[in-house]
Amino acid sequence: MSETARNRLMLAIALIMAAIYLFPLYWMYVTSLKSGSEMFANPPSFWPSSAQWQTFAFVWESRNMGRYLWNSTVIAFGSVALIALLGTGCAYVLARYRNVWVDIGLFLILMLQVLPASLMITPIFVGFTQVGLLDYPRFAVILAIAAKSMPFFVVLVRATFMAVPMELEEAALVDGNSRVGAFYKIVLPLARNGILVSAILIFMQAFGEFVYSKSMIQDVSLQPASVGLNSFMGPNTSEWNNIMAYATMYVTPILAIFVLLQRRIVSGLTSGALK
Amino acid sequence: MGIRKYSIAIALALTCASLVGIQAKAEDVKLTLWSLDRDIQPAPNLIKEFNEQKNGIQIEYRQIQFDDVVSEAMRAFSTGKAPDIIAIDNPNHAMFASRDAFLDLTDMIEKSSVIKPENYFPGPLKSATWDEKYYGVPKATNTIALYYNKDLFKAAGLDPTKPPQTWDELVETARKLNDPSKNVYGITFSAKANEEGTFQFLPWAQMGGAGYKTINGEGAVRALTIWKQLFDEKLTSPDTLTRSQWDATATFNAGNAAMAISGPWEIDRMLTDAKFEWGTALLPVPQEGAQRSSAMGDYNWAIFSSTKHPEEAFKALEFFASKDATMYKDFGQLPARADLPVPPTGNAVKDAALATFLEQMKYAQPRGPSPEWPKISKAIQDAIQAALTGQMEPKAALDQAAEKIKSIEG
Amino acid sequence: MRRILSSVRDGRGFDIVLVGVPFAFLFALAGLPLIYNILMSFQEVDMFSLGSVIRPFVGVDNYVALFRQPETWPILTNTLIFVVGSIAGQFVIGFGLALFFWTNFPGASWLRGLFLVSWVMPGLVVGAIWNWILSGDFGVLNFFLRESGLITANIFWRSDPSFSLWAVVIANIWLGTSFNMILLSVGLSAIPGDLYEAADMDGANAWQRFWTITLPMMRSTIGAIIALGLIFTLQQFDLFAAITDGGPNNSSNVAQYWAWDLSFRQYDFGRGATISVIMTVFVMFAAAVYVRSTRHEVRG
Repeated sequence: MSETARNRLMLAIALIMAAIYLFPLYWMYVTSLKSGSEMFANPPSFWPSSAQWQTFAFVWESRNMGRYLWNSTVIAFGSVALIALLGTGCAYVLARYRNVWVDIGLFLILMLQVLPASLMITPIFVGFTQVGLLDYPRFAVILAIAAKSMPFFVVLVRATFMAVPMELEEAALVDGNSRVGAFYKIVLPLARNGILVSAILIFMQAFGEFVYSKSMIQDVSLQPASVGLNSFMGPNTSEWNNIMAYATMYVTPILAIFVLLQRRIVSGLTSGALK
Repeated sequence: MGIRKYSIAIALALTCASLVGIQAKAEDVKLTLWSLDRDIQPAPNLIKEFNEQKNGIQIEYRQIQFDDVVSEAMRAFSTGKAPDIIAIDNPNHAMFASRDAFLDLTDMIEKSSVIKPENYFPGPLKSATWDEKYYGVPKATNTIALYYNKDLFKAAGLDPTKPPQTWDELVETARKLNDPSKNVYGITFSAKANEEGTFQFLPWAQMGGAGYKTINGEGAVRALTIWKQLFDEKLTSPDTLTRSQWDATATFNAGNAAMAISGPWEIDRMLTDAKFEWGTALLPVPQEGAQRSSAMGDYNWAIFSSTKHPEEAFKALEFFASKDATMYKDFGQLPARADLPVPPTGNAVKDAALATFLEQMKYAQPRGPSPEWPKISKAIQDAIQAALTGQMEPKAALDQAAEKIKSIEG
Repeated sequence: MRRILSSVRDGRGFDIVLVGVPFAFLFALAGLPLIYNILMSFQEVDMFSLGSVIRPFVGVDNYVALFRQPETWPILTNTLIFVVGSIAGQFVIGFGLALFFWTNFPGASWLRGLFLVSWVMPGLVVGAIWNWILSGDFGVLNFFLRESGLITANIFWRSDPSFSLWAVVIANIWLGTSFNMILLSVGLSAIPGDLYEAADMDGANAWQRFWTITLPMMRSTIGAIIALGLIFTLQQFDLFAAITDGGPNNSSNVAQYWAWDLSFRQYDFGRGATISVIMTVFVMFAAAVYVRSTRHEVRG
């Protein structure tokens, strides 16, 4: 089989798989364009009978989405910054050594993350109330998200640091660099891509975080978009078109950014930054 | 649709007001109120009206989702951050009242010229009562009845003016209406493993002479056997086990079920979605002349005992109660008031449905009241689900539930 | 003082600061809440004592009561099936996709990015959509299965006790595949290409290359992914709430959903906490396995 034929075949297979996998996304888009409760029509309609584009403008205005998305962005950036700040160094040390303490550290990091947010929220809420942190609700949520997602970051970034050859760091130390210097000048740049991928994954998760924000942020003007979405998603809703329009505006930008970024990041690694 | 547009305008105004309204006068008493009402439902709109009176009391509103009301309230109460006023689902009222988390309003109600116990339906009032004292005021009320598709009745050769009256007739009618080739089930309702399942089943048990304390009574066993029959003969969708009332009724509106058991909250959606003639009827009874019963839903207002401003909070409740008369017109919810005639809306179908629900309301009984209601309800849901999935016989399942309830009640 | 400072800049102290601060942070925000939960499992807790730590001590009563409940063992079994089924599915499909996109045909990197959609979509929306896809009478999964002739009668994914757990597993595999795939892709692209060239010269076929190069080189990535997959699966909550509510008759109930149900629907916080302790023990084993797996890592 020639190269181009093979490529075309692969692309075709990929498109089919993507079509299957992306069906829920497609459904979100289509439903946002439908009218009323067409979502529950039988047999299912795979194309809106008449696209209701005005839904988007209506939802954006009436739900005050700009403010919600701004809050989501603040929370997501805050969480990522805090996690990257604390987690990168931690992952580096856990990758650098191989002893019993590192084992214990890794063990603890996983252990601390067993419980879902819906069970952790009560003790965290009680604790935060006592220290008065709930007066700064967005900051409180950032702290809680950081604690929840840090292990994820540490475990991933540690795997990245494992791929950085120890000899390079040792060489830098021999050249007269301090530990701090070697870390910033040699190790960190080499692990850049892994850290970026992990940070982006965390960002996207924090952007959609829901359980903590819902309980800790009571002031509507500080709530993120996930809480805004939930507030009109009650059990007796028939506004599925509006809900999906909201979700579309919530998800699409961040998905697009990721599609652009991941291409550079993952292929950046292949292009041989490490060799 | 007019109401909705109007209320959206209000909601927009509300958000603007809440941004500007921060400059409320310093001497104003500030109250916080939590409820699950959305922008087109009573609480946020009534609060706005209340705040506009500028009577020295300003209320801040927080919307909470159905599933979170109780847990948010508990968490807040135990850390001293409870709101002043809350709207609480009526079966959960006793849990808070029995532990004095809610304020005893008996004396204030006695002096009040607006809130008078005798004006309320006895069922809702009982749910806000604990130990002969009033710990709240009913906010609204609802109940369930039978909806049926008149077009499908005619097509099956049934008389659309004669909906089924008894359980046996109901099964028989469902059989005649059931038509798998056209994707039509005889009936839909909700046997979901949450409060909704209990809400739908308990009236059947009560009509059969049982109650939550005697959940394995003969009538309850027969009720559950009938439900099982509906499942076994596929007269209802197997998804009835996991569908909420709202989603179940959506299949009725789409013409995929010929009858539905649900509440008045469905009426507005049905008027727009259902492309057929429909009617309502009282819940069928075990046999002709048997006692009627029905479920009783919706929320009560309550004041947390931790409030610093009980007088002002009660004033707010009085204001809300004074608006009961227009509640159906403005928000499509039924006030829990026996003294207020619900005015006709001018839409014959809607008024007929309303008449059915008001009639059914007379037989509505509260769930409990018991401080342990959630656990009791769980025992009942477990029995329903065990029987309907065929993993236990109805009798055995209800016996087990009765056992559990006995040990819960101590 | 100066010695400490210089150690922080250029010695053991540097490592200790880097690890110490995050651990202190984690201890405060994740460790203490966990301890609070463990404590609750030995106490009698009600809504009024949620805010304090001193509560009536009841010993192992909560544990005894829990294991007397007939549904306990079935639910723990469900949890195991859910965890193993989800992780196996996510990993195998994720690895397959990662290898597939690794062949690097035109457009591969764009499409790979799109697969991340399951990671970005809000849990609430994902739940609502899967609820609809898996619905029995008008769900789209049944629609496709029927059209393709695989089934003749509708499967009631959500309401048939023998399918309900698998319905949630399917949705959860969909949710987790993307994260497996993207991380495995990063891992794959870090394998030096000359290893494969060398193997090619030795005449190794694709299968042999996979087993002798790809898998061993990916060991640390795989260990990390499975450990994280376990955590995500055990934290999965939205899907249960949206699709089955743990029903019918607990056939799709799992530990984490049950713990929430006991705590926040039946307000039995003691028993809810007891289940979370059992989950903790379960994860302890898994964490130990992960730590062991890091023993065999190849340092680049």
